[in-house]
Amino acid sequence: MNKAIFFDIQRNSFVDGPGIRTTVFFKGCNLKCAWCHNPESQSAKPQMMFYKDKCTGCGKCKSVCPYHLEQCELCGKCTLYCPVDARMVCGKEHTVDEVLKEVLKDKAFYETSGGGVTFSGGECMLQIGFLAEILKKCKENGIHTAVDTAGHIPFESFEKILPYTDLFLYDIKIFDRQKHKQYVGVSNELILENLKKLFERKAKLWIRIPIIPDVNDSIEEIQKIKDFLKTIGTAEKIELLPYHVMGENKYRAIGKEPQIFKTPDAENMKRLKEILD
Amino acid sequence: MNERIKKLIERTVKGEMWVEPVKTEYNRTDLFLSPIKMSAKRVCEYILNQELLILEESCFTGLMRFDGSVEGDIFSKSGHKNDDIAMQNFYNKPVDNLMTFEFQHSVGNFKKIINRGLAGIKDDIEKSKQAHKSDASALEFLQTQTDLCDSIIQRAHIGAKKAIEKATETEKQDYKENLIRLSNGLKKVPEQPAENFYEAVLSLYFCYPFIPDSIGLIDRYLYPFYKKDIMNGKLTEEKAKEYLQELFLMLQARINKASDRFYRGGESHFCIGGYLENGEDGFNELSKLIVESLMELPTWIPQISLRWTEKTPREVLKFMLDCERHDPNKRIAFVNDEPRLKGLMEYTGLSYEEAVNYTMMGCNELALPGGMVFGFDPFNIVRSVENAFYKRADDLINAHSFDEVYNIYEQELFADLWAAEKIGKGFQDIRRRDCNLVSNIFLEGPIENAKSCTQGGLTRYIPVGLPIGLSNVIDSLSITKQFVFDEKIITIRELIEALKNNWQGYEDLHSLILKKGNFFGNDDDCSNEVAKRLFASIGEWNNTENYLGKKWVFGNLIGYNEHHKFFGSALKATPDGRFAGDATNFGIGQSQGKDRNGLTALLNSVAKCDPEAVLTGPSVTNVLIDEKLIRDDDNFEKLVDLFQTYFQNGGTHFQLTYVSKEDLINAKKTPEEYKNLRVRVSGFSDYFIFLNDALQDEIITRTKHTQ
Repeated sequence: MNKAIFFDIQRNSFVDGPGIRTTVFFKGCNLKCAWCHNPESQSAKPQMMFYKDKCTGCGKCKSVCPYHLEQCELCGKCTLYCPVDARMVCGKEHTVDEVLKEVLKDKAFYETSGGGVTFSGGECMLQIGFLAEILKKCKENGIHTAVDTAGHIPFESFEKILPYTDLFLYDIKIFDRQKHKQYVGVSNELILENLKKLFERKAKLWIRIPIIPDVNDSIEEIQKIKDFLKTIGTAEKIELLPYHVMGENKYRAIGKEPQIFKTPDAENMKRLKEILD
Repeated sequence: MNERIKKLIERTVKGEMWVEPVKTEYNRTDLFLSPIKMSAKRVCEYILNQELLILEESCFTGLMRFDGSVEGDIFSKSGHKNDDIAMQNFYNKPVDNLMTFEFQHSVGNFKKIINRGLAGIKDDIEKSKQAHKSDASALEFLQTQTDLCDSIIQRAHIGAKKAIEKATETEKQDYKENLIRLSNGLKKVPEQPAENFYEAVLSLYFCYPFIPDSIGLIDRYLYPFYKKDIMNGKLTEEKAKEYLQELFLMLQARINKASDRFYRGGESHFCIGGYLENGEDGFNELSKLIVESLMELPTWIPQISLRWTEKTPREVLKFMLDCERHDPNKRIAFVNDEPRLKGLMEYTGLSYEEAVNYTMMGCNELALPGGMVFGFDPFNIVRSVENAFYKRADDLINAHSFDEVYNIYEQELFADLWAAEKIGKGFQDIRRRDCNLVSNIFLEGPIENAKSCTQGGLTRYIPVGLPIGLSNVIDSLSITKQFVFDEKIITIRELIEALKNNWQGYEDLHSLILKKGNFFGNDDDCSNEVAKRLFASIGEWNNTENYLGKKWVFGNLIGYNEHHKFFGSALKATPDGRFAGDATNFGIGQSQGKDRNGLTALLNSVAKCDPEAVLTGPSVTNVLIDEKLIRDDDNFEKLVDLFQTYFQNGGTHFQLTYVSKEDLINAKKTPEEYKNLRVRVSGFSDYFIFLNDALQDEIITRTKHTQ
């Protein structure tokens, strides 16, 4: 049975597309955005998250662990008995039917609100076989589908899901190629090329731009993106997503140090938004 | 808003509109009369002795209250000696930790008074006298009712005189005109039928103190007057608003400012919208005006529920939610006609045409015009879980399947339902020993049956049962099913041992249950199925006529009191992870942090657990959401859809509170810094810092829904 790995399935989401949605977060990403607020989404493997600041040192985890914490098979026993939720295993496999069952639970809410399901990540398109299958099943069940992607994927993968995808939430992170490589880990050529092709294929698109101070929050940057978009098509919506530091603790929980950026000020967000309007 | 209303608001908020009862001396030779004649004579003298507050700014008058020297109105029940005895013995004092005594609510048939006048009621009394002409005690009772009508009419005529005197004192032309209108009005109503919107409101205003609970469906019975007057140009929307606002201010002023109830929005609750007899949705332009009028007032009382129907336009729900989110005093809640009408027709034997006229009142009770809510009082349904897991432990240990466990539980449930019904009947028997004379003419049945509403005269009543702790029961059974039978993590013997030891020595199991347990509100198959099964069982038990001659509709509100705390304090540990002595839950929405799957999951669980509409009585679903969610306009639109879907799915009620958990915790610690923090509690709103500990704690532990 076709399985994929996920780090969360969030019902009652108001932020990932139109209406009330269920957002299914795939685990595993091929980009390394410096500001990523879901660092646990990057690895495609399950991993232990340990929030040191929550830990009271009670030792319960050690006493229940078959290896006394000297080795970890991600059995999750320590997470069940930790009294302060300092430990959790991130990443769980599900079958298409399991995901579908969860998605269908809120069908009535989607219907009233014009919502549906959003497949996000990580990069959901890395598990394209599963994604195509679940999208197809959602469509068979009359559910509006959205795919939230960073777009650094061969276009053949898009071909596989285009017939079943009502909306793409498509990221443009930085317009400058070099800078893109510096902060995201890859150049943006393929990303922009795919976007162009999606427009040609008449896909419905919402463009999402994360705003990171001192990286891409200048008027020129946003203007460039706007000008580029003008040459390739008309997005239904362009959203600016202000950077936030909520991912900070999660970095430490997976043993990494976060790179901290400034939080965008409301004034500048307003200015940038005006350019796009 | 005009200057006149502004002045009245100022006086109301300062407590200056409160009418102090005037002490009345009764002639001791009254004692020579029969008890009922004596009571009636004193009631009439008392009424005529009460001052009428008529200010320069008044368009209406009539407010008065009973001081306990006579048997007063049926809501306050002042002077009802037997009711007082029951209060002293059973109010907040459970019998066998199973049941406590509570107030009962009522709603006058104001439509009848407005349209037929007291003269019409007097005709009914005369007819009843004819029908009971050979029954001396019936005739004696009916005569008291004629006398009562006459006293109210006489009081109105006193008011007419006083108003004209006041008119001569005032310099302001518009005030003078108002007072002359009041004087002329009181010469006519409530004795005669009202003929216009002003007279209809005056009749209601003047009669309200004799049954001072809910004003009922004013958007229905005032609507024909409103429509006619607007159409013939005799009334403007502005003027109607003014009248409504003065009416609402009276409802606020009825509560003494010195009482904490002055700020508690649990009094004088009424409804707008809902199905009409013809099957259409009743929300009309007057409904909207009523809400707008109230929202302009900075007062706490009354509160309104929107009766939602499948035909309610989304725009109406949005309008009401928008008013709700902007109302600092949190006076608005929402109820669903679809399951409720089904429940009322199924269990209380009402026809569709009767059932559509229900109104919400009090915290979240319900009654029909001219009716009361009778019954059960709050009872501790978690005791049946305790009985099953402690007294029947040996039977449980021998159970081979969850079905067998459930059957044992169900036996205990039924035993407790019977026991609770018996205690409830005892309470009702005590209430019947009083003979109320004041409120009967506004109720259906007492005149026709020639018996007081307290003594079996009432024909229009809804019998209500209030099981408190429903989610503890669902969770306890769901955990047992999951841990013992589905996942086989423990044996039932171990679970029982853990309970006996109040989880001591079983900390790991306790932690595991809290983390992995299928608790109600997560929209999982296990807890959803158990919930449905529990409600089906209650429905099955509820298949015969009770001592009130009907079946029960159930609800789960606790009113102003800490029922959940004192029931819980005497309960042993339960399988849902509750420790011995912990408070139980009330309502059905708030899941104390155990619902982890978000708001849609919670609302799905609640909306779908009761397909047979057993829980369509005074039922409460509290939803705590992030303030950011409701303030942002885009999110707000989605919330409208969210709650519309919840109602389409079958949810009976919801009310919203939005405040951060930190603020709640801080407010408990430093109340002086959180004087304006307003929350919805058990069907009413109040300032958080005024709530007792158990109610504060309940709100703090509710699950907060964010994005």
